[in-house]
Amino acid sequence: MRFPMRSLGIVLTSALALTACSNGGGDDDAASTAGAASCAPSSGPVTLNYTTWIPGIEKVVKVWNDANPNIQVKVQTGPNGNGGTYQNFFNQLKAGNAPDLGHIEYDALPSFRVQDGLENLAGCSEVTAAKDQFVDWTWGQVTFGEENSVYGVPQDAGPMALFYRKDLFEKNNIPVPTTWDEYAAAAEKVKSAGGYITNFSQSDINQFAGLSWQAGGRWFANDGAKWTVNFADENTTKVANYWQGLIDKKLVSAVPPWTTEWDNAYNTSKAWTWVSAVWGANSIMSGAPDTSGKWAVAPMPQWTAGGTVAGNWGGSATAVFKGSKHPYEAAKFALWLNTSEEALTMLNSEAQLYPATKAGASLPALKQGVEFYGGQPIYDVFAQASTQVAADFVWGPTMTSTYATASDGFKGAVSGSTTLPDALKKAQDATIQNLKSQSIPVAE
Amino acid sequence: MKLNRIAPMVIMGACTLYFLVPIWWLLVAASKSRSEFSSTDPLWFADFALMDNLRELFAYRDGVFLRWLGNSIVYTGGAALLGTVLAAMCGYALAKYRFPGREAIFNVVLSGVLVPATALALPLFLIFSQFNATNTFWSVFLPSLVNPFGVYLARIYASASVPDELLEAARLDGSGEVRTFFTVSSRLMFPALVTIFLFHFVAVWNNFLLPLIMLGNERLFPVTLGLYTWNTQVNQYPEVRMLVLTGALVSIVPLVIAFLLLQRFWRNGLGSGAIK
Amino acid sequence: MTRKRPVAALLFFILPFGLLFAAFYLAPIGYAIKQSLYTVERTGTFGPAREVFGGLVQYQRVFADGPFWESIGRVLLFGVVQVPVMLGLALLLALLLDSGLVKGRRFFRLAFFVPYAVPGVVAAIMWGFLYSPNLSPFTTLTSKWDLLSADLVLWAMANVVTWVFVGYNMLIIYSSLLAIPQEVYEAARLDGAGAIRTAWSIKIPLVMPAIVLTTVFSIIGTLQLLAEPQVFRTFSSAVTSTYTPNLTVYSTSSIPNFNLAAAFSVVLALATCLLSFAFLKVTQRGGDK
Repeated sequence: MRFPMRSLGIVLTSALALTACSNGGGDDDAASTAGAASCAPSSGPVTLNYTTWIPGIEKVVKVWNDANPNIQVKVQTGPNGNGGTYQNFFNQLKAGNAPDLGHIEYDALPSFRVQDGLENLAGCSEVTAAKDQFVDWTWGQVTFGEENSVYGVPQDAGPMALFYRKDLFEKNNIPVPTTWDEYAAAAEKVKSAGGYITNFSQSDINQFAGLSWQAGGRWFANDGAKWTVNFADENTTKVANYWQGLIDKKLVSAVPPWTTEWDNAYNTSKAWTWVSAVWGANSIMSGAPDTSGKWAVAPMPQWTAGGTVAGNWGGSATAVFKGSKHPYEAAKFALWLNTSEEALTMLNSEAQLYPATKAGASLPALKQGVEFYGGQPIYDVFAQASTQVAADFVWGPTMTSTYATASDGFKGAVSGSTTLPDALKKAQDATIQNLKSQSIPVAE
Repeated sequence: MKLNRIAPMVIMGACTLYFLVPIWWLLVAASKSRSEFSSTDPLWFADFALMDNLRELFAYRDGVFLRWLGNSIVYTGGAALLGTVLAAMCGYALAKYRFPGREAIFNVVLSGVLVPATALALPLFLIFSQFNATNTFWSVFLPSLVNPFGVYLARIYASASVPDELLEAARLDGSGEVRTFFTVSSRLMFPALVTIFLFHFVAVWNNFLLPLIMLGNERLFPVTLGLYTWNTQVNQYPEVRMLVLTGALVSIVPLVIAFLLLQRFWRNGLGSGAIK
Repeated sequence: MTRKRPVAALLFFILPFGLLFAAFYLAPIGYAIKQSLYTVERTGTFGPAREVFGGLVQYQRVFADGPFWESIGRVLLFGVVQVPVMLGLALLLALLLDSGLVKGRRFFRLAFFVPYAVPGVVAAIMWGFLYSPNLSPFTTLTSKWDLLSADLVLWAMANVVTWVFVGYNMLIIYSSLLAIPQEVYEAARLDGAGAIRTAWSIKIPLVMPAIVLTTVFSIIGTLQLLAEPQVFRTFSSAVTSTYTPNLTVYSTSSIPNFNLAAAFSVVLALATCLLSFAFLKVTQRGGDK
């Protein structure tokens, strides 16, 4: 038998010949108009495409469609952003057939802006007028802190707090930590009681980003001419050294997050606290059903005693993609989706989204005590935290690869082959390299 | 003599365990409620909640899972059936006719087997975009029709199982080439066709990268992509995990049934091919 | 055989496949090659990108990319161990099925083939649970060796691949065993050769083509590992975003850096061809008749 393989040359040449006539991707130019879109209403009925991965979104959209026969929204759902939907958005933008609206997490917005994929809604007076409805820092996330730019409507937020096992802390006479020093001290006591204070998130870098955000770390800056990348500033290094210390003393476990293993650690009382975002309330509830009633929520531990600074983990915006023929209608829908009490209530009950609006914090559902947390009205803690998040934290334009290299390094730190500060340094170098390879200007 | 029989059976038994225990585990896992999943013996049933899990699976988001199963069957069944015919015709022609460029075509087709799927999927998307055809049934179905490996197999089998004399005889009878293929040759190649069909079926059934990139509309998803989608949501919505496990179990069932049904053809076909 | 070539029939047979192949294989390959020759330029931090011809710039990046070549080394190591183990097992099982020494052949054939029905993603998720130190049914094993640690996770994945593909390879070998004409065995039987002798000196040489074929496909499959490592990333801290070459391609294109991703995949396809070709050369020289 022969299994010939020699004709690669033929494949290559014939393949080239075949594509010689196809064009080279539609991003030649034209779309490079800077500045805000005109945002004029379209005449006649309009259909908008909207892509997201929020469960139950169909019900919310139906309410809108029933009330707005002239602006019909067609919703499509897919995997979560980094699971494939962002990739699809990028592909569609390149091909020029992106939907009108898309769900984008705050940390991915710069990537889309760099790819020239977002419509600037600053020309829509309805949008700019809504500014005051949103919690300041969420507005900062969609405007990148620039004048005359709005690249999406904030949807949800992930203010952070401390989830802890009230019963175990009381039983072992451990005071609930209010500072990170107390948290480290508590960790020792928890360890001697046979548990871990928490699980260090080795592969989900967003938690670490939230912790740095709280501590005052600023990973990216952008002066309009160049990006600055700094994962090794004083504050970030402080956080990295702190957690490296806990890892070295084996005071934290390091199960990969979001696995059954991880759920199990909480369900079987091996892990006692979790510094997490508001949506984490649901993660514990469904991951650790056996611990119902035993949890409570306290504000995030502080770096200075008596401080009132919180971090943020997660949150997303509804963006209008470049090329949408109906930016006005799209913006109108996005505003309704993210500011009307009706929509926010549904988003919260269907998908536990925590609103980015100031008024959203007082939705009836967010005022009640939660049985799983011993009847504590936990959302009050998060409402408070939401107002304590600094507004000047900027994400970089290649976060997926930054996360990937950082998490590769963090995994190494957990297994002892490197340290968190070194891993961050490495992630910084890789990020700079990455920006350069896409010819995005960056300061060395 | 006795050892001669015991040793093989022991090997076969051990391998059977190796191959089937994980499936058994999946069956057991899918039969448990969420809290029992992590707290009871992984290889034995606790309270039998399979029916509840199934009910939840089929009811979740308006029964979208059933829709995915249906889609998968159409994508895979259709593509495998048509793809097998196309591959068989091409392989047959390459085996039974001499013409200039024959080897070149064969070699090019074979090299196609070597191209990584990741390399194909993205350019395919961009090409389909130019015809505004992404996010359609056809964008997944058409590329799935192409099975270079099938051409290779068909060529090998056609050379081996269709004698030239028979074709000559058919020609003398005045039968056209195409008719001869469908009435005589394809019968002789039947066992090969079943094999090609089976491999093609499984390949398309498993493929999730192409639909992942092509499709945005959940109603068009095949079941693998659907399960993957749910699996990516597990970190925000952990209650989905049991759906993923139950769905995984259900997604295997159609293939096992296909194997069982086809096995009859398969055995007869292979057997007769062996005696020749 | 000096008859006229039936051109119409030939076209009928070849064109449908040929056109689809050109549209859905050759065209995308060509597109990828073209993409790999471009690079992006932009001005300002959020300036729009322009695609300009960059010659071999992307390829320079590929060759300077340490992790990519490490990942190729890793899958080669994987292949050198996993492919022989898997095919050895497949061959053994095929020979046993064919030997007439076992009862219940239908059952075994199906039992061994069932894992192939499990989609790669699902198989990886499943084995992830089976390896887990706390949830596995085999905790005595998994608590002793951490199968998801940096040292072992490669082999844990090798096991998943083996589990899925032994049945498939066995079937290919088995069906070519069945195609051996009975007369061939007659002589051996007259010689009084036992089952093992017959297997070793008659059957294996005769099914060598099938073994070569399955080896080539396994080599290709190994270099293209994607689903298993991608799923294992969620279980194991040892699996990085550039663990296998295909994973590198995938993570690069989700940055998104289409041009570099295209260059990676062109290099990967070439490496695959080279390797399969080298293997064939070696076996053909060794087993020349």
